[in-house]
Amino acid sequence: MSAASAPIVDIRHVSKSFGSLKALNNVSMSMSLGEKVVIIGPSGSGKSTLLRSINKLETVDSGTIIVDGFDINAPTTNINSLRMELGMVFQSFNLFPHKTVLENLTLAPIKLKGMSKAEADEIALKLLDKVGIKEKAHAYPAQLSGGQQQRVAIARALAMSPKIMLFDEPTSALDPEMIGEVLDVMVTLAKEGMTMAVVTHEMGFAREVADRVVFMDHGAIIEEGTPEHFFVNPEHDRTKLFLSQIL
Amino acid sequence: MSDTRIIDVGEGAAIPSKSDWGLFNAWTISIIGALAAILYLVIAQPNPYQRLLVYLADGVVITFQVTVMSILCACVIGLITGLGRVSRNKAINLLASTYVEIIRGIPLLVQLFYIYYALGRFLNVHDLTAAIIAMSVCYGAYMGEVFRAGITAIDKGQTEAARSLGFNTKQTMFLVILPQAWRTILPPVGNEFIALLKDTSLVSILAVSDLLRRGREFSSETFLYFETYTMVALIYLVITLILSKGVSIMEARLSHYVRR
Repeated sequence: MSAASAPIVDIRHVSKSFGSLKALNNVSMSMSLGEKVVIIGPSGSGKSTLLRSINKLETVDSGTIIVDGFDINAPTTNINSLRMELGMVFQSFNLFPHKTVLENLTLAPIKLKGMSKAEADEIALKLLDKVGIKEKAHAYPAQLSGGQQQRVAIARALAMSPKIMLFDEPTSALDPEMIGEVLDVMVTLAKEGMTMAVVTHEMGFAREVADRVVFMDHGAIIEEGTPEHFFVNPEHDRTKLFLSQIL
Repeated sequence: MSDTRIIDVGEGAAIPSKSDWGLFNAWTISIIGALAAILYLVIAQPNPYQRLLVYLADGVVITFQVTVMSILCACVIGLITGLGRVSRNKAINLLASTYVEIIRGIPLLVQLFYIYYALGRFLNVHDLTAAIIAMSVCYGAYMGEVFRAGITAIDKGQTEAARSLGFNTKQTMFLVILPQAWRTILPPVGNEFIALLKDTSLVSILAVSDLLRRGREFSSETFLYFETYTMVALIYLVITLILSKGVSIMEARLSHYVRR
């Protein structure tokens, strides 16, 4: 298979239940290198579960997930080394509060990649500069605003130079005036060619950045397509209803 | 942040909180009062009290030894037990839980007798060592519960963030969870330290010449029961107060990264 045609993420017939709730119901989706997929849908539709199953923060009940050629549920797959390729950004930032901003970025490269502190610091400072908070390198996360924390969280994920970035509602916990600064960073990242899977309610972002928009409801993918298709003439009634409610 | 008090389960002396650092707080009044009382008694009535103080000094050293050694061992046992209690390995979890259950179900004094005499009979362990082991085994279980509570109190997002970066469970625990848990754990652990210090007086019933036992020996020779136990109580009070201050200083140091 050529590199261009092989999907970097291939989700096949995945199902997952939480008790009696079916969070994912026979979902299949794939992403190719460099692609930006935005997953939208009402809350409880399974979009976060789908995203979190890509790096095995959720273990699926059935189906297979292939990431970069590895079946993530295979016993032979080292999930920890595979996760180094998958950067993840959370709704609640989840920065390490006992570490400075700089240490948040350098902890994993030093401990997991065996990078020297000097090298890790240099990379971290470059990334902090990129997300616009270099001057906060020695502050603790609690001293930052939500928007700043989320930008640090993005930089922390980037410090491992991942192949794919997963964003789980990155702006949902932010005050409205801070959403822009985080989205700007994400748009820049997209323009640089990063492969991204983004769960979000920010339709403007989806329209601007997405190669493909995926709409989920009740644990299933209802519709997917280009933003043009999606926002201009969606096919399904449920998609239309959802869009009419949020736009 | 006031959430450090949530898992405050200890029965030890109150740890001074940062709000009453002023001159007229309970801690300052107690320590000055206790030291002044000791000083007054020794100067005003040197006859029994000076002799008493000298006699009790050996006991203070023993009490100190038992306390420090037991605290160190109990912390190690407690950490292992706490990690066992949150382990997903069923066998380890069950082992740790059973240990905690058994220890918490038996009075400390009974455990002391049991472990002390069992060790003495089958292993011929030295008196002081046996007492330290007994105290550690008992307090290790209590501290295990404190460690477990502290570990589970850390937000699940921290584990997820660490795991998503590629850290394994062990690295996540030691690099991310435990360094944060220390801050929540310290106040209740401090309480356990103080409770342990006071409970070391129980070893006086065994053949360990701690502070209380030296007091009993002195009073049975001299029949000066009131004088002896006044001094014993004052010395315990001073040691406890110093320990509690130490804990609160450590607590303040550890909270440097907390939200303003």
